[in-house]
Amino acid sequence: MLPASPGDVQITHEDIDRAHDRERVWATRAQRGLRPRLRLLWLLIGPGVLVMLGENDGPSMLSYAATGARFGIGFFLPFVVLTFCMACVVQEMTVRLGAATHRGHAELIFDRFGPFWGWFSMADLMVGNFLTLVTEFVAIRAGLGFFGVRPVVAVLGALCVLFVALMTHRYWTWERITLAAAMFNLVFVPVALLSHPHWGAVSRALFTWRPLPGGLNQETVLILLADIGATVTPWMLFFQQSAIADKGLTTRDIRFGRFDTVLGAALATLAAAATILATAPLFTHHMTAANFEAAEFAQALQPFVGRWGAALFALGIFEAGMVAAVTISTSSAYAFGEVSRRPHSLNLPFKQGKSFYLVLLAEAAAAAGLVLIPGIPLVYIVLVVNVIAVLAMPPALLFLYMLVNDREIMGELVSPLWANMLALGVVVVLIGAGLLFGISVIAPNALAALGGR
Amino acid sequence: MEKEFDHGTAADVSREDLDAVMTSLEPDQLSFEKAKHHCPRRKLTRIEKVLFWALRIYLVFMFGVVIYQVWTGAR
Repeated sequence: MLPASPGDVQITHEDIDRAHDRERVWATRAQRGLRPRLRLLWLLIGPGVLVMLGENDGPSMLSYAATGARFGIGFFLPFVVLTFCMACVVQEMTVRLGAATHRGHAELIFDRFGPFWGWFSMADLMVGNFLTLVTEFVAIRAGLGFFGVRPVVAVLGALCVLFVALMTHRYWTWERITLAAAMFNLVFVPVALLSHPHWGAVSRALFTWRPLPGGLNQETVLILLADIGATVTPWMLFFQQSAIADKGLTTRDIRFGRFDTVLGAALATLAAAATILATAPLFTHHMTAANFEAAEFAQALQPFVGRWGAALFALGIFEAGMVAAVTISTSSAYAFGEVSRRPHSLNLPFKQGKSFYLVLLAEAAAAAGLVLIPGIPLVYIVLVVNVIAVLAMPPALLFLYMLVNDREIMGELVSPLWANMLALGVVVVLIGAGLLFGISVIAPNALAALGGR
Repeated sequence: MEKEFDHGTAADVSREDLDAVMTSLEPDQLSFEKAKHHCPRRKLTRIEKVLFWALRIYLVFMFGVVIYQVWTGAR
């Protein structure tokens, strides 16, 4: 992009598309009444719901399924609600940061902390994102495998869907298509209802956080970490802030951004809890689910939820992988564009945003290709991905915490004391969970002593 | 000084588009402005540097634990 002369400002397609989206927001905001209010909400929601439902991805849904199958209805049901509350605390900070600065997360880290720390942060993101993307394609392959679709067809079909969504060259259209797909995450709710959960046990678990079969042991810690990693991960920080900047939200929209985040968290909690409830019959009937993958879960559930229920479960796993493949690859492309100072927006035509789209598609294609290599230990990758997400979160949160308390870029929107206390609480929980995992691997006997066994 | 707008890379820019950009976007939302102006770098305090390094060491150590777990699991 070349300036015409000093003092001139060039406008691009990206600016024009964003401006037309903002025009609609301004026009709706000027009207009074309930309907314009609801329309304004419709115009402004998106990044929060997408990030939360996007995080209910393949490995996350498998973690929840494993949780229900191994521990039934008990401790983990309220625990999942708590993890989504933690996600809300963290993601709210990205809403304020994105609306106040109009810049992506990676760009701010590079600008404020320099390339040394910036590259560390990017390496964490890229490694985590790539491994997670691999697991999304594992989920896509496994979910469609239930219907007899061959792995090559499933994976190539998913890449085509990803490509079609991108070819709209419009953030708004891309966001609505992905949102519509993300809503299918709620298919786990009818599956849960088909499993006829014991509602008394559900309410008892929510209030007492019990039972926790087996107590504190290596397996419990692994599931604990996997469930945390299923809700709070570094890519979410990068994605939501960049999406907010790309959508064009401003400080006046922060209230709606917060609502968007809470709404997304509520929907995602519902889907996560439903998955635990859906697979709880496997625990009740003492069915071993230690090495289950997505397709096996759906098959094992068939006697309890029927053929339709099992098919919906498999469809849910496919959808979880598909939506996350779209959002996670987009988060990588945003971050790459921000640090390489190249155009990075879903409003860009392919020619202008070539590097943005190519990074996005290349990462997705590489992950998809890996899934098709025979003999790759996919089960290990799925298990390890959520754990890595939890471990990589404290350094990512420190960057976020410092940025959101940086008066030079945030002005009056710096975090209030209560928000900082909550954020520090999340960091303490994450580091504590990470250390517990370390103890469980290095000294399992010490963990048994901690658990009173 | 009032800024002049040029259609730049948007070849089919119309008067309507130009008005939309000028009235609906905040100045620092323009991609040109974002590319031109970056947030200045901040100086890290000693405590902040210690925190950064401590968390980096924590991450490297825990990655080692994960690799160890995968290795023992594979055996």
